[in-house]
Amino acid sequence: MPDIDRRDFLKLVGAGSVGVAAGFVLAESIKHPVEYLIPFPVPPEDYSPGIATWYNTVCRMCAAGCGISVRTREGRAKKIEGNPAHPVNQGRLCALGQAGLQVLYNPDRLTTPLLRDGDRTGPFTQITWEEGLSAVADRLASVDGGRIYLLSEGVRGHLAGLFELFMAGLGSNRLLHYDFDYPHTLYAANKRFYGENNLPYYDLRNARYLLSFGADYLGSWISPVHHGLGFGHSRQGGEVRGYFVQIEPRMSLSGAAADEWIAASPGTEGLLALGLAHHIVAEGLYEGDDRDDWMSALAAYSTARVAEQTDVPTNTIARLAKAFARNQPSLAIGGGAAGNHSGGVDTLVAVNALNYLVGNLGKSGGLLFNPDPVVGRPTRSRRASFQTMLELAEDARRGNIEVLIVNQTNPVFTLPAATGFKEALAGIPLIVSLSSFMDETTALADLILPSHTYLESWGDDIPEPGVGFRTASVSQPVVSPLYDTRATGDIVLGLAQKLGLTDSMPWTSMKEYVEQGWRQIHARGADTETRDFQAFWRAILQAGVWGEKLRRDNGAFALDKSVIDNIGAQQPEFSGSNDDFPFVLHPYLSNTFLDGRGANLPWMQELPDPMTSVVYGSWVELNPATARQLGLAQGDLVRVESPHGSVSAPVYLYPGIRPDVIAMPIGQGHAEYGRYARNRGSNPIEILAPRAESHTGALAWSATRVKLAATGKKAALVQTGGTSRQLGRGIVQTTDATAGSGHNARLNSIPIKVVST
Amino acid sequence: MAAEHNELTYADVNRDVVRSLVETGPKYYVTLGVAVGVFLTCFFFPWFYQLFYGIGAAGMNQPTVWGTYLASFIFWIGLSHSGTLLSCVLHITNSAWRKAMYRSAEAMTLFSLMVAATMVMVHLGRPWFIHWSLPYPNQMELWPNFRSPLLFDVMAISTYLAGSSIFIYMGSIPDFAAVRDRTSGWRHHMYVLLSLGWRGTDTEWHRLGRAYTFLAVLIIPLAVSVHSIVSWDFALSIVPALHQTIFAPYFVVGAIYSGTAGIVTVMFMLRKYMNFERYITELHFDNLGKLLLLLSLIWTYINVLEIFTGWYSGTSTELEALRYKLFGFYAPLYWEMILFCAVAPLLLISRRFRTSFVPMLFLSFAINIGMYTERFLIVATSLSRKYLPDTWGLYVPSLVEISILIGSVAMFVTLFLVFVKIFPSVSIYEVKETMDVPRKGTPQWQTTR
Amino acid sequence: MSVVDRFSESWRKYRKPGYYEDFDYAWTMTIDLDRCNGCEACVTACQAENNLPIVGEEDIARGRQMQWIRIERYWDGEYPNARLSFIPMLCQHCDAAPCETVCPVSATYHNQDGLNVQVYNRCIGTRSCAVYCPYEVRYFNYSNHHWPAPLDQQLNPDVSVREKGVMEKCTFCIQRIRQAKDHAKDDGRRRVRDGEVQPACVQTCPTEALVFGDRNDPDSQVSRSLNDPRAYRVLDELNTRPSVVYLKKVVTDGG
Ligand SMILES: Nc1nc2c(c(=O)[nH]1)N[C@H]1C(S)=C(S)[C@@H](COP(=O)(O)OP(=O)(O)OC[C@H]3O[C@@H](n4cnc5c(=O)[nH]c(N)nc54)[C@H](O)[C@@H]3O)O[C@H]1N2
Ligand SMILES: Nc1nc2c(c(=O)[nH]1)N[C@H]1C(S)=C(S)[C@@H](COP(=O)(O)OP(=O)(O)OC[C@H]3O[C@@H](n4cnc5c(=O)[nH]c(N)nc54)[C@H](O)[C@@H]3O)O[C@H]1N2
Ligand code: SF4
Ligand code: SF4
Ligand code: SF4
Ligand code: SF4
Ligand code: SF4
Repeated sequence: MPDIDRRDFLKLVGAGSVGVAAGFVLAESIKHPVEYLIPFPVPPEDYSPGIATWYNTVCRMCAAGCGISVRTREGRAKKIEGNPAHPVNQGRLCALGQAGLQVLYNPDRLTTPLLRDGDRTGPFTQITWEEGLSAVADRLASVDGGRIYLLSEGVRGHLAGLFELFMAGLGSNRLLHYDFDYPHTLYAANKRFYGENNLPYYDLRNARYLLSFGADYLGSWISPVHHGLGFGHSRQGGEVRGYFVQIEPRMSLSGAAADEWIAASPGTEGLLALGLAHHIVAEGLYEGDDRDDWMSALAAYSTARVAEQTDVPTNTIARLAKAFARNQPSLAIGGGAAGNHSGGVDTLVAVNALNYLVGNLGKSGGLLFNPDPVVGRPTRSRRASFQTMLELAEDARRGNIEVLIVNQTNPVFTLPAATGFKEALAGIPLIVSLSSFMDETTALADLILPSHTYLESWGDDIPEPGVGFRTASVSQPVVSPLYDTRATGDIVLGLAQKLGLTDSMPWTSMKEYVEQGWRQIHARGADTETRDFQAFWRAILQAGVWGEKLRRDNGAFALDKSVIDNIGAQQPEFSGSNDDFPFVLHPYLSNTFLDGRGANLPWMQELPDPMTSVVYGSWVELNPATARQLGLAQGDLVRVESPHGSVSAPVYLYPGIRPDVIAMPIGQGHAEYGRYARNRGSNPIEILAPRAESHTGALAWSATRVKLAATGKKAALVQTGGTSRQLGRGIVQTTDATAGSGHNARLNSIPIKVVST
Repeated sequence: MAAEHNELTYADVNRDVVRSLVETGPKYYVTLGVAVGVFLTCFFFPWFYQLFYGIGAAGMNQPTVWGTYLASFIFWIGLSHSGTLLSCVLHITNSAWRKAMYRSAEAMTLFSLMVAATMVMVHLGRPWFIHWSLPYPNQMELWPNFRSPLLFDVMAISTYLAGSSIFIYMGSIPDFAAVRDRTSGWRHHMYVLLSLGWRGTDTEWHRLGRAYTFLAVLIIPLAVSVHSIVSWDFALSIVPALHQTIFAPYFVVGAIYSGTAGIVTVMFMLRKYMNFERYITELHFDNLGKLLLLLSLIWTYINVLEIFTGWYSGTSTELEALRYKLFGFYAPLYWEMILFCAVAPLLLISRRFRTSFVPMLFLSFAINIGMYTERFLIVATSLSRKYLPDTWGLYVPSLVEISILIGSVAMFVTLFLVFVKIFPSVSIYEVKETMDVPRKGTPQWQTTR
Repeated sequence: MSVVDRFSESWRKYRKPGYYEDFDYAWTMTIDLDRCNGCEACVTACQAENNLPIVGEEDIARGRQMQWIRIERYWDGEYPNARLSFIPMLCQHCDAAPCETVCPVSATYHNQDGLNVQVYNRCIGTRSCAVYCPYEVRYFNYSNHHWPAPLDQQLNPDVSVREKGVMEKCTFCIQRIRQAKDHAKDDGRRRVRDGEVQPACVQTCPTEALVFGDRNDPDSQVSRSLNDPRAYRVLDELNTRPSVVYLKKVVTDGG
């Protein structure tokens, strides 16, 4: 062993440390990411790893009310699938419904009650539930009931009932359910034409011919999953293939799926419908006794005139009218943009007229009226229209509101800036939010009592519209609560207790209240003999849904002459003159975020928009021809200016849109609402004119004109798709319906081998 | 000393070569320092960063999952050609002009192969498992996939590396001995080991000659096969514009082309900085020039052919691939390649150009830049235009990639700088073979002992 | 059996024509383009089932999205006759899969069920399989992905989480196939029943455009739709023999 002198020693140390460093770096760089797939290394007795437990409950991501089955492992929710037993979605789900898991496990959830002193820009401080509830209760007790408002998202079933009782107890009738996308005009049109409070059930499944006036029934209209099932079956499930026509200025998901897309000039859908009606009656395709009444009512809607008003060729009108009348059963539906114009209700009434004239009422493949629900009071009268919200704002300004309780709805985001709603809230001394997330409205609250997510709560739901027969579903917690939050119902009951409202609301928990309510259903005969309530209840919790497969007898439908005489449709009125504002702005509910509620879900942000493949942002859809005129290219940042403001977004060249229309998706442009939503894209609602539909006071959100201003900048338009032309490569192959004979030779190359078992 | 080649004496040869090994000026150390510095900063540290972060540190994406790393790999493999290959051919055809340049040419082969192998490591998503691509017995009896062209690569390249290492070493043994006898201290000890006790007996010379020629014959097909196989990584795919029968010859020609240009560069450097003016002469540049001209013509022909087949196929996929290459995002690079590799080399028609050193140097640079571009385009333009238009994308190299590219050049230079101080970079004995044997009894005879 | 025998045998197997044709099962998916409406429910279903990461805006902008099934969109014609068609694209589980021949370490290979399986922990990340795959359905982990707590609690324990440097792609929900086989075994059945295996995307598809099953069983629903005259395979001319078969979209002129 040679003796090592200082220099050698230093050399060795140097060399050694370099080696170690390198080794460390290498070791680090090849380490696996730390992910805990099974939450507990040592599972408790009652869990056997590998075996999933499924809980049936209800999806709350939109108003359709699909039944869901949540797969849990070791007490964690792993996947949401459709409940096969549920008549609305029959086991299927849309993308948003599946992303419900990211509402539950969202990293930006509110985890405890929060309070802040007067100053609404200041920070929140954490408080206990006791403190929070007392604070609210004391204030509620001290003020006159008429000055208390409860503004909730649209809820149905027992929670709606609980709100009623609570507000009644406080001596206030200022209970409002507000959803941006609630179809006020559709309900009004049905009321006027059929005298029905419920929406009818639209039987797409058996329809052979569908005329859709602006209703994106596969994307965002009423019950997309149910319509998807119907669409699929009508297309290839029966012996005759259904034919689908979509009438809308901008091709929606349903427009792409349709056999025919007709870009009638925006807002003239009603005129077109009446044009078709006129043709049907005039051509003798309708032989009702009231034919003459119709003739006179429709006199003004001759094919030629309507053609020039709607920008749809006469021969197309004639062809559609004939096909609609001849291909029975057929069905006409209307909604979306068509209902969001100045004359929305008239338009949708005109659509109903079409169904009446070809006899689509009360028959399979047409539309069936729904029976009244058994439990849960319909909240229709409580549904806040745009007009109502303006009044609320006015009350706030006048100082007529002492306490505003907001439940899971976000009007600050979904009302046009021109309404001054946000500013008006300053006039309210106490704003309490029950939201699970820090959305734009909650950010203005003084006190936050965060609710459980729907996957942690008890409740029930009655799908609206139903599926042609009575059905109701129970929702139950699928995991134990993640945080120090409470179910909305329990918060209300907690307040009720503090306020001594226990005689009208004796229940200790929402669960108890729901269970009690469902005794009515159990009491409806059938079950009462066979099994006691507990057995029935257990069965319901397992099934997740209850139904009575009794169709309502629609009898012979008699139409009042006055309805016929009042039929009519006018050219739409827009805010903004044609010269200064050359384009009609067509805002539409994003397929992934709807009215914006989905924007805080990473899966939804990362899900390519079906039509454009854009992710994580907003865009302005422009007809390529228009873009050429304006010298705009894909990705150019433009400012969309309305008489009431402007928003910016990159241009997307969209072949499926009228040259005089530009479209923007709703849903992005949040200023709050968590890391995934905040400061992303822009919100077209901001610049909408505060114009209400004439009959319902609903926001006419397709009735604003805009102009485009190039900014000269490019903006990030993040897309997953590359080139969207096939270049004759036969990727999507088509055939005409008649080609039904002879096997596809290529496929015979697939070996089919029978394996004896 | 601007003496003519034939005026050289054995003594001069010994002196000059040994001097090139023992006498080391500051210029050398500075160059070496710079080379090592660049290698560390531009290659090593970015690579470590990439090991941490993942391949995402590079610009690769869907659908262009291959990028500059693979382009560099092909480039260095290419450069490795003609070094040893040329040397073998010339050895068998007994062309004397080879003798002064072949050793450094072979060294070039060796080192570019090493750099190429490193580029594979850099390219892999999980380089720490690279040994899985080797067929070694293991208790799970897991074997690599023998159908995979990538595995052919592994085989071919390792064989080629082994072959050329043995070849260069074997050829150097007598020189190691010569240097051994003229050095002292640690150098002497080192050369004692390296020269394997060479004494210069007739039997030794005889055996060396046989073995050397035998290896030379063996290596020629090997070299050709290597780049054919590299081309199959691409040609065996069904990617439009890559799935072509011409690819093997295309790659081999391209390889020898860039390799020969590389030799020109190295020759120039040795001549200038190691004072080998009297050994590496216009003759060498003239001959290499002729070779380059021939190669450039063949290469151009194949490129024209490639365009033709693309056009003639008439299929949307091939036509798009062609269109994108010629007029797409990377079109400027394509035309730069044509200028450097097809047009500029036509200058070589003039003898005056071939025999003027500096212009030849610049041409050799141009050719290799062009050839790198070719490899880059093969990867970048084809993969971004495959079958489904919806998946088309654009690939732009990241800083990490560019830096690693520069670093790999520095790596090559470093290895070479070390080489010239250990190997006699001009073959002593073979240069002497080209000189007339001196008569007995003259002082000169003494000096050669 | 010596290593040599074993090798020569597997080599013979490689060479044997039709080696990929006698499977225990031949899992097959048909996709009816006349039903599919591009709603992308299938995309989210797969993301949830198979622990697909959220890669973030920057990475998607750099072309590094990670969705094993994607909806491609193709426009035909111009306004007012513009038409948009959707086509779901996922690993076609080709019986003659180019991706398999090129993998130097056999990290992707054909299993006895006719699946193109991807063995993450064998993959060394050469990405050649993605080059060789004409359908562009292989997704590479360009970096490690993380799930901000508590999002990680959603991860499916039946499916592994992939690390940086490995390739991944649609597995036909192999974990569900495995589960179905286990059930069949527990019930003393020798084979899985038709419809017993439902990949996540198939399970959720609202229009029932996706059908999955065993084409070795001539009575299975998938075998029936294979005989639909509308059936075709994408890029059939490449002879990769996909196990995903599409049914042509019907285009009619007027009602
Ligand atoms: N409870 C319990 N825990 C254990 C063990 C135990 O015995 N019991 N054993 C321990 C041991 S020794 C080990 S090795 C580990 C193993 O644990 P894991 O590594 O998790 O192995 P598996 O659970 O068998 O398979 C993981 C997942 O890979 C899927 N899979 C199978 N083949 C493929 C394929 O080709 N491609 C893709 N994409 N997915 C595939 C399977 O369906 C499964 O969902 O577990 C350890 N933990
Ligand atoms: N179907 C299926 N088969 C598989 C797998 C799969 O995923 N699916 N996984 C494979 C894998 S990854 C693995 S690792 C193997 C594991 O398969 P095995 O190696 O068989 O593992 P175990 O069956 O868990 O343990 C074997 C025996 O060791 C005993 N044992 C426990 N502790 C000790 C000890 O301290 N000393 C001694 N002498 N014995 C002890 C246990 O009681 C048990 O009887 O299974 C393989 N087989
Ligand atoms: S349509 Fe989608 S979001 Fe709406 S309830 Fe059904 S699953 Fe939920
Ligand atoms: S879920 Fe079904 S309908 Fe929707 S995109 Fe996927 S395949 Fe098409
Ligand atoms: S689709 Fe691509 S990845 Fe899937 S098997 Fe075929 S070649 Fe392989
Ligand atoms: S990336 Fe993985 S699976 Fe693909 S070829 Fe390379 S090693 Fe095989
Ligand atoms: S089969 Fe499974 S893995 Fe493949 S795309 Fe569908 S869900 Fe994803």
